[in-house]
Amino acid sequence: MESVKITERKTKKFAGEIRFTERRDYRPPDVKETGLCFVGHEVSEDRTLMNQFLHYDQLYTIRHGWNSRFFIGLLDGKIMGTRCPQCGDVWVPVRTHCWRLDCNLERTEWVEMPLKARLHTWTVAGWSGRSSLKRLPIILVYAVIGDSKVAIANELRNVDPWDVEFDMPLKVVFKPKEERIGAVTDFYFEPDDEWKPSGWSKEKERIKQLLEPVYEWVKTLK
Amino acid sequence: MWYMKHRVCIIGGATTPFDYGPTGFESVEAGAAECVKETQRDVPDFSLRDIDLMIYSHFSVHFSHQLAPEWIIHDHLGLVGVPHYRVENGGNTGGSALYAAALAVMSGHHNVVGVIGWETMDSVSQSQGSEFIAMASDIRYELMVGGIYPIYYAAMANKWMKENKVTEEDVATISVKNKNNAMDNPKAQWYRNEHRYITVDDVLNSRLIAYPIKKYDCCLMSRGVAFLLVCNEEYAKRVNPDHYVTIDGMGLSSCTIRAGDRLNFPGWIERYGVGYPDMTEFAACRNAAEQAYKMAGITNPLKEIDFGEIHDAFSTSEAQIYKALGLATSENIAQFIRDERTHMHGDIPMNPGGGLIGYGHPVGATGLMSTIECYYQLAGLIPKKHLSRRTEVPDAECGIVNSHAGTGTSISNFIIRRH
Repeated sequence: MESVKITERKTKKFAGEIRFTERRDYRPPDVKETGLCFVGHEVSEDRTLMNQFLHYDQLYTIRHGWNSRFFIGLLDGKIMGTRCPQCGDVWVPVRTHCWRLDCNLERTEWVEMPLKARLHTWTVAGWSGRSSLKRLPIILVYAVIGDSKVAIANELRNVDPWDVEFDMPLKVVFKPKEERIGAVTDFYFEPDDEWKPSGWSKEKERIKQLLEPVYEWVKTLK
Repeated sequence: MWYMKHRVCIIGGATTPFDYGPTGFESVEAGAAECVKETQRDVPDFSLRDIDLMIYSHFSVHFSHQLAPEWIIHDHLGLVGVPHYRVENGGNTGGSALYAAALAVMSGHHNVVGVIGWETMDSVSQSQGSEFIAMASDIRYELMVGGIYPIYYAAMANKWMKENKVTEEDVATISVKNKNNAMDNPKAQWYRNEHRYITVDDVLNSRLIAYPIKKYDCCLMSRGVAFLLVCNEEYAKRVNPDHYVTIDGMGLSSCTIRAGDRLNFPGWIERYGVGYPDMTEFAACRNAAEQAYKMAGITNPLKEIDFGEIHDAFSTSEAQIYKALGLATSENIAQFIRDERTHMHGDIPMNPGGGLIGYGHPVGATGLMSTIECYYQLAGLIPKKHLSRRTEVPDAECGIVNSHAGTGTSISNFIIRRH
């Protein structure tokens, strides 16, 4: 009977080896990976109910894969978009494959985007997630960068919140190179140099009135 | 129609009180058991032995720090051997679980399906809870810049309100309606906590969350459990012949995870033309409603539907949903709200049970809560379940249930009729 060799010791991995040569660590000193840890409990006066306090701290690795060039672009002060070679649609946030069913998941190509945008819609936040509370109030806009088919969310700075307008021209501004971490927060929007706010209005007065307690509250945060 | 062969019925259901902090049940599996027991008090002939499929509706394991938490509930109910799985679909988890249960019955493969939904959002602080939920936005692009859903919704609503000439005062009336409806519902979180009737000024003067949304425009973060009993008509006739309702239409649809991706999406342009839905309309709601209306034979929803329990995550989104359900257009939506057509005295009351703004929003339980309230209305159980008849829709024959996820990323609609 013919014998079939079904296993072979592999010396090669399937994927080529990637060397990560640039590495930065900006972990705050108080972030510790303790894993699962009970850190306390409480018992009701009549001893019928108990609550237990569990702490969990875990490091995640977000592997950006084929989207990586967008985030590397941020480190370099560039907005990288993608473009479908078949239909020509352009996106930031990027898509690695075209969204048109007729393009049948065509792989897209990278394009560098202009640092100009148009405001699509906006809000000013007086409350946010735990990690953003001290930055309040935040003007969040959805803006279309260059000829992108989609809008991207980010902060708008250096304008009074009540002066923000639909369709206003914006520019993309990057943080200083040493502060960038390869996340969308590496850049923000600012009004284009040519833009001037419109005159005072009832709505502006209303927004200002809503924001007054927010400014006061943020001052009380440590 | 093929789906008439195995008609999908609802014959009962109950929730725990919704709350933030102690609910009186103090564990999810105990809450689930009490919901089943309340259903048995309403439907004495229903036995757990009759269940041949359990579907669990739960959004985020972050809140309990327990993977597969449905396994704890399932064997606690004594249901070993009965097939079970969990459905997760953001804020539309409840609606999606109901969709799955209905499909199971429609297929003829299952006869009696239990659906249990829950969330325990008070296990972390409110701001941490908001951030957990926002992890259902694209964390690479949106979480770090916005942080929470109200901000995304505010950006969408700000443009929608301008385009539709809807004011802060208009949407505030929706919050007032839902919170005040909840004052007639002893299980509602608003009834159990703040417990007061409010006015439009109270909403306008509440703290800014993200313009134009204030604190009282927002739904409540909650702990709560719900149980819903779905079955075929044979079982319904046998066990609860006088109080069963039928799911006559249902639709489930999807949209982009990032709201900014809706400006030119080819899939929507093909269906509804250029410029729709933009960042303002809930295309998945419209699409799911069209499916549900077609299945139920509804051509004029405003005339043919008597009331609804819909996903008022924000007062603004309830207004946007009116439009997506085809109850109003750009031309008349502002007037539609000002005429109070969705109040108890209106022609199509919405959220008589209090909705997410009044009853609460423990995500996995929410869509089931809406369905249960709809069932109570149609089965004539409101006088038994609410504190008075004030929140009863008299002679209701047809209700709509709407469940909604993400920034409108997944939406289901159900047309439910009294039998």
